[in-house]
Amino acid sequence: MKSLSSALARPLRDRRSLWTLVAIAGSVATGLALVALTSGSIWDALGAFGDGTFGSAYAFGSSINRAVVFALVGLGYILANRANLVNVGGEGQIAVGGMFATAAALNHGISGLPAGLAMLVPLLSGTLAGGVWGAVAGWFKVKRGTNEVISTLLLTFIGLLLVYGAVQSEALLRQPMTSSATLPESLEIPDATKLPLLFAASGSPMHLGAPLTLAALVLGWIVLARSKFGFQLKAVGYNPVAARRAGIDDGKVVILSMAIAGALGGLAGAMMIQGEQYSLKSGFSSGFGFDGLVVGLLARGSPLGVLLGALCFGFLRSGGIAMEITARVPAAVVLIIEGLLVVTIAAASQLAAHKEGAS
Amino acid sequence: MIAEHLALFVASSLRLAMPLVFASTGELVSERAGVLNLSLEGMMLTGAFFGAWGSWSTNDPLLGLLIGVLAALIVALVQAWLSVSVGANQLVVGIGFNILALGATTLLYREVFGALSRDAIPGFGKWHVPVLGDLPWMGTALFQQTGLVYLGLGLLLVTWLALDQTAWGLAIKAVGEEPRAADQAGVAIRRIRYGAVLFAGGMAGLGGAFVSLGDIHTFTENMTNGAGYLAITAVIFGAWRPGKTFLACLLFGAATALQFQLPDMGVTVPTTLLLLLPYVLALLAVVGAVGRTAPPAALALPYRRG
Repeated sequence: MKSLSSALARPLRDRRSLWTLVAIAGSVATGLALVALTSGSIWDALGAFGDGTFGSAYAFGSSINRAVVFALVGLGYILANRANLVNVGGEGQIAVGGMFATAAALNHGISGLPAGLAMLVPLLSGTLAGGVWGAVAGWFKVKRGTNEVISTLLLTFIGLLLVYGAVQSEALLRQPMTSSATLPESLEIPDATKLPLLFAASGSPMHLGAPLTLAALVLGWIVLARSKFGFQLKAVGYNPVAARRAGIDDGKVVILSMAIAGALGGLAGAMMIQGEQYSLKSGFSSGFGFDGLVVGLLARGSPLGVLLGALCFGFLRSGGIAMEITARVPAAVVLIIEGLLVVTIAAASQLAAHKEGAS
Repeated sequence: MIAEHLALFVASSLRLAMPLVFASTGELVSERAGVLNLSLEGMMLTGAFFGAWGSWSTNDPLLGLLIGVLAALIVALVQAWLSVSVGANQLVVGIGFNILALGATTLLYREVFGALSRDAIPGFGKWHVPVLGDLPWMGTALFQQTGLVYLGLGLLLVTWLALDQTAWGLAIKAVGEEPRAADQAGVAIRRIRYGAVLFAGGMAGLGGAFVSLGDIHTFTENMTNGAGYLAITAVIFGAWRPGKTFLACLLFGAATALQFQLPDMGVTVPTTLLLLLPYVLALLAVVGAVGRTAPPAALALPYRRG
């Protein structure tokens, strides 16, 4: 499996990497042309993109915070995909994770715990909720033969709507209504439950999630490449019948791998609330799960690929927002670039495979 | 009073179900042939925008409709090439197209319509069917809709018959269930899959144009707002069968209509429950809690000989 990393490191040696580079260059060139067409000056727009990504501690930190979410969802995707499972439910797993983390953080018993625990318990609640959301899809697959693409997609919409409902009702998570202008969102979570910022003095919003995610990626790599569970995932993915004959409980592996993928999504959701947003709003996860899914899909099974893809998309999104605010380039241009990247990279990897097969 | 509310409810349920009926009928055929188009949402949005744009610039809703369908067909053609000929991952390509369509229509909308954004565009008026439209309450409920509603119901019926009664239908289902056997029997797999995806694209384009031209008479950013995913959900809940899928669309349309109508009648129901209904029902259906259903065996799997 070639990862994005090798694609960047050895561009000319294999065709797939070459095609991928062509895809990236074409998408970016199209994007630049659109920027030139829609904004007064392409240099202003590029300057804004630079300012919005590496220009300040704030911009860099918020790009990394986005990348954290994409990386966790992407890592979950490739872990489950090793067992030939396709988890498209990252968006919903983030949503329930964020919701349960908020509920835990707003509970006085929990926020009153000693400092570390007050932060840890909501984080684990979100992780657990996401894990259950993923495990349900795995369980349906094992017990009822339900295709996990379909169940995780449906569970995503259900998860998003549960968040919507939770912040509409005061009986659930909505802040007390003091006037008709009270927004449908939760109260801000107490300080004790917030994730510590790493470089607060410089104004960077980068939180503890960044090193935790790096650790998760390293752990994920070890599990996939070195552990017995990693081997079982591969065996079940390759041939579940043979795996069962070899004494592997394939049903357990399916449920467990979906649970882990979901838990990583739930953790990402908890981090979004506890690290940056501090209150639950409907649609808080909008697009994050699908971007994370794309990162996972493009990583070709490699945790290093997940890391690089997550960083690319994190900076792309942040730079795009900055271009809209300061250079008045419509954010839609970034959507177009991202859409083109996804479609052309997916096509490039297959086109290359065809040509290699033909030659 | 009750009869009036009921007639209004039936009428708006049908109207709100129609975009789903168009799109899910097309997607059903494509999925039966083994190709999953998550890009349905993007195709609908494309149809909605280009339909509005065409109607606005030609001042003729019918030409607008054709332009909308044509635009969606172009998206479908690229989707078909990537799914069938290139063999790219259908999930990735579909999600990519949805992002692309959202970006492209939003950008074009701002560039083309600009300040005109709130203006109404020429759309399809309601058609008061002679005689039937005057029936006591059935008339208001069923026979005072835009002509597009009857077009959609007609296309559904034709598709249903074609799928169940013709050699084409048999070939489509064979390609989706047992592509290898179908290939050996001489069925042109690529041609059928291309045709099925293009049909899905055309129908999604109609469904999208229905939203902008048949219902609201304007375009807004991300106007279809998940209708494409809901149409896919209807296909799942409908167990990949035309009749059941149509009923699923009607049910989803009714749930949406209730969201607007119940508050009007002074009934308070948590809207979340109504919004959740389609997805929960579809989930129950796929896990076999309400009758066992299984997707076509070769769904989303590219076919390659050898």
